[in-house]
Amino acid sequence: MGKEKIKINPEFYDIMPVEYQELVEEGTYGKEDRGWKDVGESKELIEEHSLCAGCPESIAFRYVLACLPAPEDTIMVGSTGCTSLVFPHVAVHNIHSLFGNQNAVASGLKRALSYRFPDKVKDVVVLAGDGATVDIGLDMTLQSWFRQEKFTTICFDNELYANTGGQSSGLMQKGFVAKMAPAGKKFDKVNLPEIAKVSGCHYVAKMTVSKPNRVEKAIRQAILIAREVGPTYIQLYTPCILEIGKQMMEGLQEMRDSEGPNKRFEFEEYISEEAKAYLETIDPKKKKKKAITA
Amino acid sequence: MYAVAEVIDDLCVANKGCRLCIMYCPEANTIMFNKENRVAEVVEQRCKGCELCVVVCSSAKHNAITLVHR
Ligand SMILES: Cc1ncc(C[n+]2csc(CCOP(=O)(O)OP(=O)(O)O)c2C)c(N)n1
Ligand code: SF4
Ligand code: SF4
Ligand code: SF4
Repeated sequence: MGKEKIKINPEFYDIMPVEYQELVEEGTYGKEDRGWKDVGESKELIEEHSLCAGCPESIAFRYVLACLPAPEDTIMVGSTGCTSLVFPHVAVHNIHSLFGNQNAVASGLKRALSYRFPDKVKDVVVLAGDGATVDIGLDMTLQSWFRQEKFTTICFDNELYANTGGQSSGLMQKGFVAKMAPAGKKFDKVNLPEIAKVSGCHYVAKMTVSKPNRVEKAIRQAILIAREVGPTYIQLYTPCILEIGKQMMEGLQEMRDSEGPNKRFEFEEYISEEAKAYLETIDPKKKKKKAITA
Repeated sequence: MYAVAEVIDDLCVANKGCRLCIMYCPEANTIMFNKENRVAEVVEQRCKGCELCVVVCSSAKHNAITLVHR
């Protein structure tokens, strides 16, 4: 499909905003091997937005959008929170859902798309904060996994409710004190990756966004597995520098400090047997080998 | 007055493959690789002055970006 859908009628070219012209000229829609390495030399599918200067959620958004395997055939579902300040500036179809409802909306959307476009692959990707995913939307998150809905859920885990000033969330660390959680978090950080595994997710990954190649691999695998096998879940640490008292330029170091051995964001990945078998069938290297031996 | 990042062309080693600032700048389409001059280039109107590019460039000992006031 590529850029067919967004091509500008030549008659109107000069009155289109320059940002749109750039998307058509230099956007990476339809590019087979798109990935984070395209940044800096192509037009990213994201425009200026109002997240705080230095916010790691912004970095994560860049990588996620650069790595979607087929942005022109992807519909993202967002929820309320800092992430929702970015979606209006994203050049991929997206739906804003009521806080917490994102996985229910995505379930209906994915099913409707498979009726409407039976011969096409349409990827549905949920992207929401930790409050939306694990507190207010936990019911919807889990039910979609139990029902084996075929889409990817990405949680931007900043360990609190950032957009409303720093209330505690289920993913906040035990004992952490925030502006609107002065008594300190009373219970352990909910282990959502573990819960995702036992709830039926076929691919689960937890990491910070300090290594774009790792994020790229996870996003691609999660989306490809969700197309054919079942639900997938990625949890990315995107610290809210504002609410944890860090300076603008300290987000990257905060992520690096939190991903070492035995730290709470040490890289973890789970792939179900079914998903592993599926990945083998689409691995170009393995395919080549097979062709040679045959 | 506000702060924006500026690349010192003579010190930038993007020509040798460095992309650190481009990769870690939180803002999209803000530090671009200038294909003609083969250096990193800041799109000033998009820069939020967070200084992360300065940190990554200087920790790699290139010291090729500074913040300037406009
Ligand atoms: C139904 C509903 N309840 C509450 C709110 C208020 N609200 C807006 S943003 C937000 C916090 C979002 O936190 P999180 O999902 O962790 O995302 P973050 O802002 O941290 O990225 C809340 C509670 C709302 N907008 N809608
Ligand atoms: S409040 Fe926190 S999460 Fe929200 S934009 Fe600012 S730094 Fe990012
Ligand atoms: S990090 Fe420094 S040396 Fe590397 S590309 Fe950016 S400005 Fe150039
Ligand atoms: S100061 Fe921040 S926003 Fe500006 S170019 Fe550097 S990293 Fe990007």
